[in-house]
Amino acid sequence: MAFIKLNELEVEVEDGTNVVEAARQHGIEVPHYCYHPGLSSPANCRMCLVEPHVFFPPAGAIVPDRQLATGCTTVLRTAPPDRKLDGKYDFIVYTDSPRVKKAREDILEFLLVHHPLDCPVCDQAGECDLQDFSYRHGHDKSRYLEVKNVPPKKDLGPDVLLYSTRCIVCTRCIRFCQEVSGSSELGLIHRGSHDEIDIPRAHDGMPLQLLDNKLAGNVVDICPVGALISKDFLFKSRPWFMKKESSVCAGCSVGCNITVEYKEDGVYRLKPRFHGEINQHWMCDDGRLGYHYVNSDDRLQLPMTRVEEELRPTHWADALTQVTEKLSEADAAEVVVIGSAQGTNEDNYVLQQFAHEVLKTEQLGLFGALPGEEHVFPQFTIEADKNPNTAGARQMLSNGAPVLEGEALWQKVSEASIVYLVNGAPGRPLESVEKAALESVDFLIVQDVLPSEVTALADVVLPGTTFVEKDGTFTNSKGWVQRVRKTVDAPGEARLDWEIVQQIAKQLGGEMGYHFAGEIAIAIAENVPGYADATHQNIGDSGVKLA
Amino acid sequence: MVQEKRILYEHLDVPGINTFDVFRQHDGYARFEKAIAEYQPDDIAKMVMDSGLKGRGGAGFSTGLKWSFVPKDIKPCYLCCNADESEPGTFSNRYVLEKNPHLLIEGILICCYAMGIETTYVYIRGEFTLGKKMLDAAIKEAYAKGYLGKNIRGTGLNVDIYTHPGAGAYICGEETGLIESLEGKRGQPRNKPPFPAVEGVFRKPTVVQNVETLCNLPFIVGEGVEWYTQMGPTYGDTRFDPPKPDPNTGTKLYCISGDVNKPGVYELELGLTCAELVEVAGGVRGQEVKAVIPGGSSAPILTRYELDTRLDFTSLTLAKSMLGSGGIIVMNETRNIVDCLLNIMKFYAHESCGQCTPCRWGTPWVRDIVQRIADGNGRKSTITRPRFGIAENGRWGDTGETEEIYEDLDLLESVANNIANVDTMTWNTICVFGIAVSWPAVSYLRKFRPEFEATIREGQLTTLSVEAATVPPEENYAYQQRIVPRELE
Repeated sequence: MAFIKLNELEVEVEDGTNVVEAARQHGIEVPHYCYHPGLSSPANCRMCLVEPHVFFPPAGAIVPDRQLATGCTTVLRTAPPDRKLDGKYDFIVYTDSPRVKKAREDILEFLLVHHPLDCPVCDQAGECDLQDFSYRHGHDKSRYLEVKNVPPKKDLGPDVLLYSTRCIVCTRCIRFCQEVSGSSELGLIHRGSHDEIDIPRAHDGMPLQLLDNKLAGNVVDICPVGALISKDFLFKSRPWFMKKESSVCAGCSVGCNITVEYKEDGVYRLKPRFHGEINQHWMCDDGRLGYHYVNSDDRLQLPMTRVEEELRPTHWADALTQVTEKLSEADAAEVVVIGSAQGTNEDNYVLQQFAHEVLKTEQLGLFGALPGEEHVFPQFTIEADKNPNTAGARQMLSNGAPVLEGEALWQKVSEASIVYLVNGAPGRPLESVEKAALESVDFLIVQDVLPSEVTALADVVLPGTTFVEKDGTFTNSKGWVQRVRKTVDAPGEARLDWEIVQQIAKQLGGEMGYHFAGEIAIAIAENVPGYADATHQNIGDSGVKLA
Repeated sequence: MVQEKRILYEHLDVPGINTFDVFRQHDGYARFEKAIAEYQPDDIAKMVMDSGLKGRGGAGFSTGLKWSFVPKDIKPCYLCCNADESEPGTFSNRYVLEKNPHLLIEGILICCYAMGIETTYVYIRGEFTLGKKMLDAAIKEAYAKGYLGKNIRGTGLNVDIYTHPGAGAYICGEETGLIESLEGKRGQPRNKPPFPAVEGVFRKPTVVQNVETLCNLPFIVGEGVEWYTQMGPTYGDTRFDPPKPDPNTGTKLYCISGDVNKPGVYELELGLTCAELVEVAGGVRGQEVKAVIPGGSSAPILTRYELDTRLDFTSLTLAKSMLGSGGIIVMNETRNIVDCLLNIMKFYAHESCGQCTPCRWGTPWVRDIVQRIADGNGRKSTITRPRFGIAENGRWGDTGETEEIYEDLDLLESVANNIANVDTMTWNTICVFGIAVSWPAVSYLRKFRPEFEATIREGQLTTLSVEAATVPPEENYAYQQRIVPRELE
């Protein structure tokens, strides 16, 4: 630990921390643009200038260093005993001296020289570092009278637009593409004040290379100004009108920490949230843009039953009565219950409890892995399993007994007369084996969020909820149990998945008595091995790693 | 009359000196052979330190001291010869490359021997096509004669030289920009520390030396430190007690251009005055000297009152200017300082690499302000402070005063100082390009303010007489602040 004097504070920081991070840890803001904790530090924005104090031998005293230093490249380390300042400090640095403040003002003035003041039509307004730091550290007016540069607006890729006029050439996006995605699509063209970010354009027989890697959306997040803009979010909402909730991405089994930004009428965007051991600062575009099904108009809103070979909407009482009648008549050996790796641990636990305690069946299955591709980047991996909770669902459903999966499951399904299937995965295709097995079932109860190949075969369809509409936990492939949180309301009369199961159980005479997901989590903590710490109180925003 | 003291340029005019045989007849490679025969590598490093040789590239940093920073235990170590002579007004390296390339090779060999370096990169300015051709031919010849390559002259010394042409960027003359460019990246300077001596080419220790510095090495080794230190003054640094010797030894290739009768490169001992140099170059063309740029276009300008400044590293630094690369530009009374500044600022705005914020957007801004002033659109306003009293005509009236405010001049000074503050010598930029911009801008403005004011007042470029255009010494802050160093007894 290095003992440093930070302004008037005496603080201890880890060796190897830079001044920006050390100050942030102690509640002091050192404004910066080019520095990003997940990337290298080129120190080109010059915004994070701080004033180190050094020992000046001729004067025999500690004086402000002649040059200001950039906070992002000034790394704090324990000094050898004979190099301590004032006999005890490893480093003395001021982030608020008059020189530093003057330097910040000057840099901000330069940054705004060519920056258009189009905040009213800029997507970034409200979450823009340039706005924030100008407000806190800048001049109140510009002395620039000349004509501003107007570089062109560019379409960089499927989801990224570049408003070059707003760019402050911090090169975060370039470094991201070099260091994290390793695809190096972005670079600088021209020189000096005409610097522009660009992709390789078609030239000399070389093809145009779009910014279309699976992590491209992150450059929008790390852009400190409104230069890089997501087409998906363009002109959709002002950031301050959206509510935010910490959650976990349901796109694959990595379990990237995200912030869901939403309004009453739906989810507007997903943003990655820092988690040091799972996703760092990033998330992939599949997850980022994969939320659209949540807002879809096709969402199942009412229960449906099959009448004359056709699914027709009905009301809950009717649908549940049909389900309970069929289940109460059936022999336990003929019933198969299939949980979903899209559902939360809570959903699957209640389903397991329902199967074991109410239906008394051991035939519990897990709806197989969603096929996908694995993408490996230098600092990020997108996993092939596109279910967020395969590991968790398996643990919840098994609870002692083995879970049926793959061929064994479909073998059982083809022998069963009643199947209760929870899907929840949008647009999941059915393989021929799966389809044949499900077609052979006498009475198929499907709980799903969207019309799918599964619901097409169902006799009763019960509308469930997606990951943004419910509380619960997901367990990722590495064993991190993390919270998803309810943001928007479920459409129409769709209900929480575990509530539906609990209701059916109640009508069949089994009492579970859960009132909210947290209660189920406590039951999980008591009953499922390894989940003792995984109550909602313990998990918090950063998750709990299974023992 | 000061005489030229030709050392580096001694045999420059000998026909065929660019060939190995002729060079050999004129002591060529004898000094290198002496070095490997008589001295250990450390001896040579010590000789260079004792000689007081200062880097001729611009910063004037002690070469021996720079060598001492190179870690001995990290190999490979590289030598990078900076032949990217891009400072406007400087053209001395070019003659060495074009006429006497073997001298450079000999200097490189001595440096490589002293530092245990096996690989040298010569980064040549892209426009020096002839220079590169001549150097390449000389390198080929040296390989053929066994003075380059593996096991040179049977001593076990291996030295390879590679030449690399630049692509035309001014900033690639900055040592870390040069290294980045050499590595095949955009020519953008690195953050320092680490300095190239610790982490340079391919992240290995690197000695970056100017052509002229390396060409001095054969003479230090050949003629000895004693002989070398007799040339040029050695000042006493009075911040220390007793005064620490501050040597400005050796000769300097002064590139004199502008309004003199005989412009060209003159090799002279360090320490002669500006006025003497103008005399050497055939005197001023025209009536009188209006201003002198002492060290390439980025150096602060000297007025006619400062012509007694000695042209060496220490004196010019203490006179708030710099010797830089030794590119001296003389201006006579017909030159308009605003126009000159505009010319220089156009150059710097174009050459800013655009890496860091103040320089990227500050330099074009400065250029635009100067352009506006030169176009006659400079802003000026008059502040009146009325006061009721007895006026000159003996009646009651306004006896207040008026003051002319030249907003654009204040803005120019402020913006330039925000890129790099010339008073405190601090810069907010990554490299010293920032100060290379604000030095001329602020010094021209401060020393020739009447001409700027006249240009704004008249609404067009206005050239005043030298007397009227120059701020007199008693009002010239830089002149007041300057220190004339005293030679050590």
